[in-house]
Formats: sequence, C-alpha cells, structure tokens
Amino acid sequence: MDKNVIPVGPYHPLLEEAEYFTLKVDGETVVDVDLEIGWMHRGHEFISEGKTFTQSIFLVERICGICSTSHPLAFVHAVEDVDNIEIPLRARYVRTLIGELERIHSHLLWLGLAGHFIGYDTLWMWAWKYREPVLQMFEIISGNRNHYGIMRVGGVAKDVNPEKVKPLHDVLDDIEKKINMIAKAAKDDPVLKSRLKGVGILSKQEAVDYCAVGPTARASGVHIDVRKDEPKDAYDLVEFTEIVTENGDVFDKTVVRLLEIFESIKICRQCLNKLSVSNGSIINKVKEISEGEGIGRYEAPRGEVFHYVRTDGTNRPVRHKVRAPSYVNIPTFKASCKGIPIADALITLAAVDPCYCCTERSLKLVDKNDNSFTLDLLELSREKTEKIRRSI
Amino acid sequence: MDNFQEFISEMDDKIGKIIEKPRRLFFDAENENILEVAEHLFKKMGCRLSTATAQETYKGIEVLYHFSEDKTGSYYCPRIVMKDKSNPKMNSISSVVKGAEWIEREMMEMLGITFDGHPHPEPLLTGNHPKEIKTPWRFNTNVQLRGSNNG
Repeated sequence: MDKNVIPVGPYHPLLEEAEYFTLKVDGETVVDVDLEIGWMHRGHEFISEGKTFTQSIFLVERICGICSTSHPLAFVHAVEDVDNIEIPLRARYVRTLIGELERIHSHLLWLGLAGHFIGYDTLWMWAWKYREPVLQMFEIISGNRNHYGIMRVGGVAKDVNPEKVKPLHDVLDDIEKKINMIAKAAKDDPVLKSRLKGVGILSKQEAVDYCAVGPTARASGVHIDVRKDEPKDAYDLVEFTEIVTENGDVFDKTVVRLLEIFESIKICRQCLNKLSVSNGSIINKVKEISEGEGIGRYEAPRGEVFHYVRTDGTNRPVRHKVRAPSYVNIPTFKASCKGIPIADALITLAAVDPCYCCTERSLKLVDKNDNSFTLDLLELSREKTEKIRRSI
Repeated sequence: MDNFQEFISEMDDKIGKIIEKPRRLFFDAENENILEVAEHLFKKMGCRLSTATAQETYKGIEVLYHFSEDKTGSYYCPRIVMKDKSNPKMNSISSVVKGAEWIEREMMEMLGITFDGHPHPEPLLTGNHPKEIKTPWRFNTNVQLRGSNNG
C-alpha cells in the first residue's frame, strides 16, 4: 500500500500554541513523522534584552500560561547565578510552594486532556474540576489565578501570611482525597490499561539520545529531576521522592504524573508548615548585577526549563536565552510514534504534554467501496477506546 | 561535587580560556576540537545537552553549548567563536548528540551559521512559511550591538 500523509496542525482555535506534524502512514500504521515549529514567533529573547531584570520577569511569565512560575523562577535563578546571590529562607519556601502548586494544576490539566483524547470525558471533567481549587489557592496567595507576579531577583514579592496557611492546608487535604479517588478508578479500569499500556513507547536510550526531560524522560527510566540534581530554593530542605518508571509508554507517563501530584502535595504541606512557624524577610535587595554569565533552571511540570543570561553591569541582560521543555520533548515523538496505529498517535503525542494547539485535524478515509468520508484524529482515538470497552 | 578538575586535566589540550564558577564551567574550544569535546561530555561523562546559545559579539559569531551533568548538577559550556561574521561556519555536533539537531537548525536560520555535517540542515522555523522568508534573520534587523564587553 502507498504511504499517505496526514497533516496535524498548525492551528486550532481552542488552544494557545501552534505546531505542525505530518504523519506518514502505511495503511493504519504510522511509519514516520515530520515536525515543524516556528508558527508563532514571539521574540521573547529579543524583547528581554530591552527590559530591566525585573521587567523581564513579567515578560517571561507570559511565555506559557501554564508554566507561569517555572519561567520566572528559572530566569531569576539565572540572574542570581551571575553573582551567586543568596535568598532569604522564607522566600525559598514561598518559591517552592508556588512551584509545586503549579505542578499540581498542570498535571491535572494534562490528565483531563488525556482523558478527553481517549474518550474518558468524565475523567476530563473531574480533573479540571479538582484543578479549580488549586487556582483558587494561587488567588489566595498572590491575588491572581495565573501569572502570579511573585518572583523577584533576590527573593519573592509576596509573602504567605500565617492566617492563609490553614485554608491552604484544607484545600490540599481535599485535593488529595479527590486525586486518590481518580488514581484508584484509573488503576482498576481494564479499558484504560488496554488503551495506554505498551502504546507510544520511548526507550531509555532514545530518551537519552533526544536529551528528553521531565516526566517524558522519567517514564523511560531516566533519573533526571532538577529539584534533586541541582536543588535550589527549599528543595534541599523538604522530603520527596523522584518518580521514575521503566516502560516508557503512555501508561507510565500517566503514572509518573499522577504520583508526582502526591509528591507535590507532600512538598506543599512541608512548606506551609515551615511558613506558619517562621518569619523573616522575603527578599534581599539586589542593587546591581555585575558583568558575567548565569544559568538558571527549574523543574517545570513538563521538565527542565532553561534560562541563560549574559550581563554587562547594566540593569538589562545583553543576551537572554530561553529553552522550554517541549522544545526537547516534542522531537521524541519521532521515536515513540513509529509503528503505532493512527488511533494511538493523538494520545502518544499528548503523553509528551506538549504546548500544542493542533492535535485535531480532518482526515479523509476511503472504504472498500471507494466511498470517502472524513473523520478527525480525536474521533478515531475515542472510537478505539469504545471498541475496547465493548469487547471487555 | 563537580568533576571540573578531572575534566580539565583530561581535555587540557582541547580547551582554551576557562571561567569557573560554582557548578558552572565556561570554556573556549576550537572548531576542530568541538566534536571531540562534545563526545567526551555526552558519551564518556553522560552529560545531557540542555541547549545552545548563539550570539553576535564584537569578536565574532559565538555558539555556547550547555551540557548538564545531572548527577552533580553542574554545567559544562564549550564556547566556539567564529571570527568571519560574513560566513560563520563550524562543525555540527548533531552526529554525536541527536538532541542538538533542532537548536543547530534554529541557529542556522537566526544567525546564518553553517553547521558542517548536520544530518538535516533544512530550516526549522521558516521551512513551510507561506511567504518567502529571508534568512538569516540577523541581517533583517537594524539593531545595534549593546554592551562594551559582551564577547
């Protein structure tokens, strides 16, 4: 049979970013994929060179609506790295708390989308419903549900007052119960296992070769977590486990993210306990940044966010480089999609948790009688789940 | 603890000027040695390539690779400077580090660097653009270099 091409992308009206994938298929099987980026060039690195360090925090916060803590945190780490600036203990706990809350809401967002892609709309609605209290926690702490404006070079801009600690603990308790319920339901569901186990496997060697990061790499057995490897903020003061699994399939990527939510809740509780009993400054005033170079990174929900700054002694960076985790994780799709059925392509791509907007596109099919009809990839994926459900 | 001293002693003849900071090692490398340095970092030491930063400076076009040694939380950053700004050219490390493919393609478009030996040297960002895009983008701007000593 001739190889056919299925375009996926580049634009989708519902999600915020653009990528273009060309699936090359032989019958029902994906044999290769071409990836294209560059559909939305925003020039953040260039704009940053014209901003002061504090202004750039607000700029990089807007690189991603989900990682609006990870980019500012990696950026301030990079600027602090130029002069090895120390930050107050209380600020370290606030930074860690915000970072982990972001991980919880991001993983819940992904879980919901993954459920939607394979026809588990109840899971989608549950996950997004239980994500809502996390966003409200951000509002309690920072005044904003997103783009918290809390990171500063030398510390943080807003404190978590002791009177906020109890309500935040209550929300965490409630979220933990709900996530437990989802985890148990997922564990006992035979359809989910048939649908995700052995699908879209990324081997350990492939993850290393592609320099993959975050849950994408950890689900393939690669021990890589910036929070453990280069612990900044309060990560060397709290206890948590790095979640690593071995199979590299979509099921393992789901397991890693689900278990990481529990670890994040554990970290948040430790931070809140410390914040309730300690007090002190939340920022060291930084008067100037000397000439030099600095590297900052943070373990975002999708993996390592990398920022590099070069400074010349003024209040602006001469060069500011940003590398988001999706930039190194999306190419792994080239390895994980080979040999899988078209119906699994969508969830395999989604398992990387890319910042995408374009996984659903029209597909023309021709049946044995030469009748053509269209079907989108989302529909195809959900139909496969339904077939498995009926057969069990 | 980092392994900087061990690395420096092993690669002494392959690297130039060194700037050492806590957990950060920036060092100059010649184009003819970059593949060997990359191979040593990626294959022998098990480092991971985070990304690379390219920049136009007064000295030339500069490429700074960022290799992360995850087990120690350290960075090794080889720096290559191409003095010929009109035709910057260097060896690609993509044959050794697959994860360098995209960032090298991006640097080709943005700064017009030719990476010799790159397996897929086609444009990454502008390849399928509906309009004809003039690359490298470095030549499409009138922005002046800032900073007195940014090389």
